[in-house]
Amino acid sequence: MKTTTSTANLLMLGLGIALTACAPVQPWERGNLAKPQMALDLYPLQSALRAHNYGSREAAAGGNAAQGGGCGCY
Amino acid sequence: MRGLTNHPHPSPLPLGEGTAKMIPLSLHALTAAALILPGLLQSPAYAADDDEVDFQYSHYQEGKRNLGGVVNDLNAIEVEGLHGGAKVSLTDRIKFAFNYTQDTWGGATPRFNTPVDGANSDIITHKILASASPKYNVFSNKIDANNNILNIIDSDPVDGHSIYAKQDTRWVHTLAVASPETRKQGDFKLSYQWDETALDVGGGISVENDYESRFGNLSLRQDFNQKQASVNLGLSYTNSDTTVALSELDLVYIDSSFYKDQLDDIIDNPSNPFRPKGATLKGNRQDWATTLGITQILNQDALIEASMGYTRSTGYMANPYKAVLIEYIDPLQTPGLSGERTALFRPVLEKRPDLRNQWNWAMRYGQYIQPLDAALHLDYRFNHDDWGVNAHTFEADWGQPVGNGWTITPRVRYYSQSAADFYQPVFVVNQAAPQVSLINVPHDPAKYPANYSSDQRLSGYGALSGGVTVSKQFTKGVSMEAGFEYYSHAGSLKLGGGGEDKFADFNYYVANAALKVNLEALTNHGGIGSDSSDSNHYTHHHDLAPAGVLFSHMLTQADKFMVGYRYMRSSEAGDMLHGTVAVDDARVVNQGCPVDSAGGCRQTATGMTMNMHMLDLMYAPTDWLNLMLMPQFVDMEMTLRPLAGAPPDLDVGHHAGSGGPSSGHTTGGVGDTGMYALFKLFNNPIHHVHLGLGLSAPTGDVGIRVRKLSHQDLGYIHYGMQLGSGTWDFKPSLTYTGQTGAWAWGSQVNGTKRLEDRNSSGYALGDLFQGTAWGSHSLTDWLSVSVRGVYTWQGSINHQYNRERPKGFISDLSSQCLRSDYMYQGDTNGDGEPDGPLILDAPAYQACLAAAAVSVPADNAIAQQKQDSIQRSTPMDQPSNYGGHYVDVGFGLNVNVPYGKFAGHSLKFEWLQPVYTDVNGYQLDRDGALSVNWSYAF
Repeated sequence: MKTTTSTANLLMLGLGIALTACAPVQPWERGNLAKPQMALDLYPLQSALRAHNYGSREAAAGGNAAQGGGCGCY
Repeated sequence: MRGLTNHPHPSPLPLGEGTAKMIPLSLHALTAAALILPGLLQSPAYAADDDEVDFQYSHYQEGKRNLGGVVNDLNAIEVEGLHGGAKVSLTDRIKFAFNYTQDTWGGATPRFNTPVDGANSDIITHKILASASPKYNVFSNKIDANNNILNIIDSDPVDGHSIYAKQDTRWVHTLAVASPETRKQGDFKLSYQWDETALDVGGGISVENDYESRFGNLSLRQDFNQKQASVNLGLSYTNSDTTVALSELDLVYIDSSFYKDQLDDIIDNPSNPFRPKGATLKGNRQDWATTLGITQILNQDALIEASMGYTRSTGYMANPYKAVLIEYIDPLQTPGLSGERTALFRPVLEKRPDLRNQWNWAMRYGQYIQPLDAALHLDYRFNHDDWGVNAHTFEADWGQPVGNGWTITPRVRYYSQSAADFYQPVFVVNQAAPQVSLINVPHDPAKYPANYSSDQRLSGYGALSGGVTVSKQFTKGVSMEAGFEYYSHAGSLKLGGGGEDKFADFNYYVANAALKVNLEALTNHGGIGSDSSDSNHYTHHHDLAPAGVLFSHMLTQADKFMVGYRYMRSSEAGDMLHGTVAVDDARVVNQGCPVDSAGGCRQTATGMTMNMHMLDLMYAPTDWLNLMLMPQFVDMEMTLRPLAGAPPDLDVGHHAGSGGPSSGHTTGGVGDTGMYALFKLFNNPIHHVHLGLGLSAPTGDVGIRVRKLSHQDLGYIHYGMQLGSGTWDFKPSLTYTGQTGAWAWGSQVNGTKRLEDRNSSGYALGDLFQGTAWGSHSLTDWLSVSVRGVYTWQGSINHQYNRERPKGFISDLSSQCLRSDYMYQGDTNGDGEPDGPLILDAPAYQACLAAAAVSVPADNAIAQQKQDSIQRSTPMDQPSNYGGHYVDVGFGLNVNVPYGKFAGHSLKFEWLQPVYTDVNGYQLDRDGALSVNWSYAF
């Protein structure tokens, strides 16, 4: 357990460092990124619904705690 | 449901090619320049949420479980969900968002597992086919040295001892069925934005009958490098209470020595101290969660988000409805001649650790695909916890705009998890079973595993799902989306194999439809900002009717839209009335229910509340015709009490054992859908008359039945608790409104005519007529008050629920007297020995039929009475106890925003106070009704 956790944390740290090395993209060059289809969450309403369904059906609630959603006791 | 994650939102003014062509060059340059200013620059992944109002409807439908060959006629889990939300900017930097979510669910769900084979197949059929509830008693079976179930296949030819063999070793779910229950959730988020920092504070509450959850969260975002990167930090806390009323049947699961601390309100059973008649199971859990994420623009076409999270949960985390089957093997027993031993099987409530630490790491990647103007998203998440569950989630979607504002997004997802350490389909305990009757066998809790669960959610499995979402962006900031997803859970899909067997497999689909109105885009498109004279005209001329009046105004310009939301809450409480007077319990018992069948009323309502949520969509193709569509969502709750002096129950009724929080019913879901046309008949600056013609489509369910966990099917629920009329209804209306100066007035007559004699459940609601008149006075240019009088007449229900044959009903007399039982072989040669053909003993056979002709109707009548004593035991089950004459007085408050940021919005409230009530038959008195109406025309 401990190894899994620390390996993953290390990977994440490495990634964080790597990201800071990215070439700058000027604000006026971000037209494509601003397109609606490029939003990381394209359909937030639907995502919330899907997260609720997955959360009541799967053991890995995936950080859904504190978003309510009730018991899902079915 | 939205907490930690900051949901980015499609930008209202996409800066991509499609739109860029239409924006004048100077504006383009200006926009680009503005983007450099830190305060206006938006991080793509965390685009500022625009002011928006949204609604979503969803339907979740599970497939039927495979019960190892046993016929499953139980409805699977079904959930109807409704969501409404709004986001508004209070100032340039402060935003406020709130959401309301409601789900109503019902259906059959697994409770524990049992062997397919041996003595137990009888149990499955008993449980599932006959009573639809698990059998709670201990059963025993022979097992081999490996604890496998054995069946007798032969007997020894020499000494006659039984020979056993291992047969079918599969497991199967036992199901329990629940009638509908509703969960309601409200949450909010308040955001403050600095130039490169944003702080969100949120909270909410989720309430259902047996679970209440309160939560709060905090998140902080910091942007770097002109928003090329953002770091997000989140913290949240949830506190949840479980409160489950357990009946005598449920308590057979529970060895109170295990759950002593959690049981409350115990109702002692004088005849069996080990089996209380009722108790409440209580538990509390707390969750603390934290996340850290970074979003980074990689290049002009790609961005990535990486995040990690930790959640610590403590307290009661078991599911109070899930049990495990324990196989008790007494180690002191002497094995039989074939080495077989006896095991006792008994279900007990599951037990989970009271601490859980979860970690997760997630990565989301977005890539713009230039040639197709599409976006590819790839997500991966890894979850790890100290319960032994490791889970991987892979997800990909492809956002493809196809022109004219349409976008199609197919999606695929794969999820795989390992089983929790304490998951097994069945558990073995090496000691004699604990007491089941009056004898308390010494019992050692230390011989149980520390924790045990057979919940399939903790098993090893994989899940594959896929779907598609189609969205359409209309002009004026209105967009609609519809999605569909199919999900398949299977042990065989587990990554690396070793998942649970097939018995736990299941699948579901979810369909959803959403409507979003972007308030800022409306302003940008000149919907209101550039057309204030018109919205003033609209506001001042037509929108002064009280909130409770439908069809009260028309859009007076062609090509105008209106979006509205109506909420109506009505409640009944107080005395039982007959006509206009209150009556005592004895009168209700004797006259409120048909005495001939059920022997009188046993229960009545103490309160009933109905909430209606309606979406009000209106479009004016011309200035004299408006079209309206009104989908509805309703939920109802009724509480019951026993009537003093009621006759005893003839069978275990659905209200039996009441007294706890379960002595009531809830229903909810999609109601009937209205489609209307309004025609302008007369219009001058003071007076206006219009005619409404419409139909109500029977989209609301009228076949809801009562079924509680661990009880049998108890027939249709009370008429008034069904979600719609079940018939196509004609709904005409005629409305007159007038206005001069600060005064406005109006009147309306409307009616409902059922176009069908019976609905699919066998009855039709009564027709309805209503007349109303009101006057209102504007106190300021935005606030007015109103007074209204309403007269309503509604007929009683026609016909009744389809009569169902009671359990044990004998439809065929001859089945009581089998001819073969009355056949004998004649003696043809007269030697006293039977040797001839078979002859019918006609007199004896006829005598049997004659006796059956007397006894069968009597037995049937008794069976019918038993059923009626359950299904027709309250005044609300009688069609004649519906409808009446009513007079109400309404007091209203209307807010119309004439100018500024919220110009064009209208918010109305009205309270209807009953002043005269004359009911048909026996009914509960009325309490009043609240109407709230928000609308927005553009």
